[in-house]
Amino acid sequence: MKGIKILNLMGNANKKLLVHKNMSSFDSNETIDIILTPQFYTFLREELGIKFTYQAKQIAPSIFDDYLEEEKEYQYYVYKCNKYWCFFAYNIKEIVDFLEAKGIKQHQISKIFFAQELAPYIENAISLGDNFALQAIDDISTILPKRLLENNYNYKEIDLKNITLKNGIAISSSYSSLVPLKQTISITILLSILGGIFIFEGNTIKNSIKPDIDKLELLLDKNPKLSSSRIRKSILQQYKPIDTKERKKRDIIENISKLLSANSQLKSLIVDNKKVTAIIEVSNNNIVHQIISKAHNKKLNIKKYGEKQLKVEETL
Amino acid sequence: MSLMVLKRFKNELIILIAIIFTISAFLYKISAKNFVNNQKSEIISSITEINQVKELKKLWKSKSISKKANIFKTLVSKDKIKNFKKKSGKLIVSYQNLNIKELNKITKNIMNNPFQIEKLEIDKTAKENYSMELICKW
Repeated sequence: MKGIKILNLMGNANKKLLVHKNMSSFDSNETIDIILTPQFYTFLREELGIKFTYQAKQIAPSIFDDYLEEEKEYQYYVYKCNKYWCFFAYNIKEIVDFLEAKGIKQHQISKIFFAQELAPYIENAISLGDNFALQAIDDISTILPKRLLENNYNYKEIDLKNITLKNGIAISSSYSSLVPLKQTISITILLSILGGIFIFEGNTIKNSIKPDIDKLELLLDKNPKLSSSRIRKSILQQYKPIDTKERKKRDIIENISKLLSANSQLKSLIVDNKKVTAIIEVSNNNIVHQIISKAHNKKLNIKKYGEKQLKVEETL
Repeated sequence: MSLMVLKRFKNELIILIAIIFTISAFLYKISAKNFVNNQKSEIISSITEINQVKELKKLWKSKSISKKANIFKTLVSKDKIKNFKKKSGKLIVSYQNLNIKELNKITKNIMNNPFQIEKLEIDKTAKENYSMELICKW
């Protein structure tokens, strides 16, 4: 490769490769940085009254309005160069196709620089193959046919190793992603807000249990012996059957007492741990049905028990 | 190559991370909800249990019941008390010749106090005349 040097920079820096139309094929799998000659881009330098790069990027397509082929799709790159803004328009597909043809796979390309940054180093032309040279004219890297230079022109050798380039672009940023940046930002913000709301709700839900925990802790502080669920269950097992049985005994007795009147008096009542039995004497047979129906309403088992007598029997 | 792919799909990757964050946050919320539901039912059941134990113990293991048992000695005149025995949490009392008013008075006291009735036997011995035998404990 005449006039081109591929050099390793110190440390982890990638090799730099100056790319021009007459370059030889590249035979390596290494990751490299590409320096494009003006054969691959259109350059404009403008003095504009804008402050920020994003503003410059916004107006880039209009700056190139009369300079580019309409049928091609261009990508744009802008950076501030002293008092000017340096605008670049390039067709990434064309560049990548060319590089692939020269044996450079897309994944090998780390960054793409523009030869414009070499301008301070190429006041004397450097050779790009048999027919062209690269030289800075009015601080703009320009491709010149060699025939315009003297026959015995002393072409400069440029050592890319010692040149630091600042304005590189990642190849990925030249390709438009499936999702545009603006939408990415909107979707990410929305999802983050949604996630934030979920976390907030989760925390609120978790905190909602605090009053109950405090109540339980207070109860346990007052009743430390009841802190174990096994102890509580064992006490409940002991007292619950007593409570149920004793309440039932009292309910039955109370219901039996409601069947008593001047015409229906208690003959006997027996309460033990298995059953409650009562015998009621009635003054005449006319009120027997009345008492039976009253007892049924109170869900008591009642039956006739001999002449003018009724027996209520409830098991516990 | 992988770094290139990451750079190429940077926007998609950012969205993917945001989606993972949102899903994780949602799962956190769901797990918080499940955790609270489980904890809450456990806490409420513990609180209910403790309150039940307290109530039951207060009712059926109260120290004052023993004193209350003495009332069965004073509800009717002494001649109507056939037998009165109270020892180690147990009361045995027998009455005779009780009129309806006295019978009701004694029954009311049995019903309204937390005695565990082991045996209660009321018999009509004559017109408006009753005998009663009560064995209860606490």
